[in-house]
Amino acid sequence: MNSESLLKPSPLIPTSRPEIIQSLIDGVDRYNPDNVSILEEYLGTQLQTEDYDLMANLAILKLYQFNPHLVNEQVINNILVKSLTAIPNPDFNLCLYLLHENALADESVAKLVELQQLLEQCKYQEFWKLYESDDSYKELTSDAIGFEDAIRKVILTSISMTYQSISAELLSNYLNLNINEEEFESFIQTRNLVNKDGIILVPTNYDNEAKPTVIRENIKFEQLTKVIGYSNEL
Amino acid sequence: MYNEGFAEDEVDLSDEVDLLTPSYGGVEDELDDDDQIQLMLQQQYAQEIPDVVKNFIIYFHRNVLENNVYELHGIYENSFNRLTEKFYMKAPWPEADFIAPLVNDDSDGPVALELPNQWLWDIIDEFIYQFQSFCNYRNRLKNKTEEEIVLLRDNIQVWSCYSVLNVLYSLITKSRITEQLLVSKHGGDMIEAAGEYGSRPLYKMLGYFSIIGLLRVHCLLGDYTLALKMMDNIELNKKALFARVTACHVTTYYYVGFAYMMMRRYADAIKAFSHILVFIARTKMYHTRSYQFDQINKKGDQMYALLAICIALCPTRLDENIHSHLREKYGEHLSKMQRGEEGLQTFEDLFLSYLKLYTTMGIDKLAAFLEIEPDKLRTQLLIVKQKSRQQKWSSGTLLEGEYVATSDLDFCLKQDMIHIAESKVGRRYGDWFLRNINKFQDIIAGMELRA
Repeated sequence: MNSESLLKPSPLIPTSRPEIIQSLIDGVDRYNPDNVSILEEYLGTQLQTEDYDLMANLAILKLYQFNPHLVNEQVINNILVKSLTAIPNPDFNLCLYLLHENALADESVAKLVELQQLLEQCKYQEFWKLYESDDSYKELTSDAIGFEDAIRKVILTSISMTYQSISAELLSNYLNLNINEEEFESFIQTRNLVNKDGIILVPTNYDNEAKPTVIRENIKFEQLTKVIGYSNEL
Repeated sequence: MYNEGFAEDEVDLSDEVDLLTPSYGGVEDELDDDDQIQLMLQQQYAQEIPDVVKNFIIYFHRNVLENNVYELHGIYENSFNRLTEKFYMKAPWPEADFIAPLVNDDSDGPVALELPNQWLWDIIDEFIYQFQSFCNYRNRLKNKTEEEIVLLRDNIQVWSCYSVLNVLYSLITKSRITEQLLVSKHGGDMIEAAGEYGSRPLYKMLGYFSIIGLLRVHCLLGDYTLALKMMDNIELNKKALFARVTACHVTTYYYVGFAYMMMRRYADAIKAFSHILVFIARTKMYHTRSYQFDQINKKGDQMYALLAICIALCPTRLDENIHSHLREKYGEHLSKMQRGEEGLQTFEDLFLSYLKLYTTMGIDKLAAFLEIEPDKLRTQLLIVKQKSRQQKWSSGTLLEGEYVATSDLDFCLKQDMIHIAESKVGRRYGDWFLRNINKFQDIIAGMELRA
């Protein structure tokens, strides 16, 4: 039985979070502007890997919110770029809520919002088209190692939730990988997908199963206490 | 309704507790000349204190000294407001100096006070309200003179976020409320956990209300995850302390619901809003006399509006009364939202209604029905699938929760074919029998009474 959705909320406590960060964001130390560099460094390690820590990154933006002189645009961009890889979780928006109006008017932020909109609206082909339309997008996301693959993962999750089988050509389009190249085949294989004569088979899961169900009522013991009480009176 | 007398309580309280968190931006409260003159005028005016008010202050003072929480509650809810309406609608209550002789000059009194919970809640609530009002005022640059703008710019530390957080966090630390909540949840020595200050109801409740206060402050600052994180040690149930003060009960659910909504957890938001709206509707007759009645009703109305937004984004069955009230109040808005400016929602409704008619259907066929490109339809189906999954709370802290399906209709694609499945609610036999057994028992009891 597939009881869990393929979608996972960004973890409240990622396993990769160091203890020092944990104690910092748990207490009032999170408001101390002196700690911003520790959090920024931690973001740096997130950029090098697949690790991602929303709560720690929000703590950086919180410090920026209270101490405008600390603001580092590059850091804001990188936090937003990381949160793109967490779509459809609301992380990108949660970060935007903490930015000052001026930051929202920033050209880089505006570009990232464009990318976010296309991903949220599942317009994957358009996303890649825009992303490759000029070098600025690649430059914006260049600090995040493996950004493109992380986005492919977002897209593949969305496809795997919806499709049980999909033509290889359409999938390669969504993923922006050339169907005739080795890269596509190896991407498919590492994700447990099977290419059967140009049709990619997706294993069934909670989301793509679409089985008709009947929701049965669930009577709790507390609901019966009154009835049991009556039997005593007889 | 509130006046200076209350504002001063806040200052006293924040002074009373040490500011345990380091102060990054202190508030300087030096008065300039204008303020001094203003103050003197106020004091002159206040010198003529009517006898009723004098008697009230003496009576109030006695009850404070004797810790008569019950009497104080009456004073706070009724007499004080009555006198304010009569004498001090347009002027502040007398300054402390002028009433000091009436109460034997005991203004440096001890802190062994016991005050009604309602009052303690209002202290915190009003403190945050002042902060919010000041921020609103500061951000409205339009009709301000150059002078005013300069004054504000030179004093950015006034009502700064840091100073507000300092007060709330200090009350939490001093009262050891977090430790107390942990002990009441997991067991342990409460007296040890509470410590010297936290054992007194005054500090305990101030600490507790400060947590709810932080929930609100963080929502105001747009930090919805942190807002809900403040509630890590508070469970949302009837036994919780926040339920002891109606205004606090309502506030808690309002901000929890709001934070969930902003995190796109509409199912959780709907649950929070409908829970408290049912509560307000059921207890209406009890708080009509309270001065909070208008406040609570206003919050209720706002929550109906928020509920309408959530329902438009995540159609859900509601409590019958809530649903009819929602239709009545926001029916038009709701249908407008559901039609959707961008047509997305309408579209969804439309094709979901088509999907309901079939168990399988080709993409081309549905696209033709809807008069759109098949490729666009594929994209829309991907969106519907994602949006029909939502992070939803089932246990643990408020921030926890896993993604589950929130729609009765589900589907999957096998290449170009849509397969549709609908989940149905089975008949509720058990519920039916339970209700009728209870009804039957009531009838028997009624008959026995007559016999």
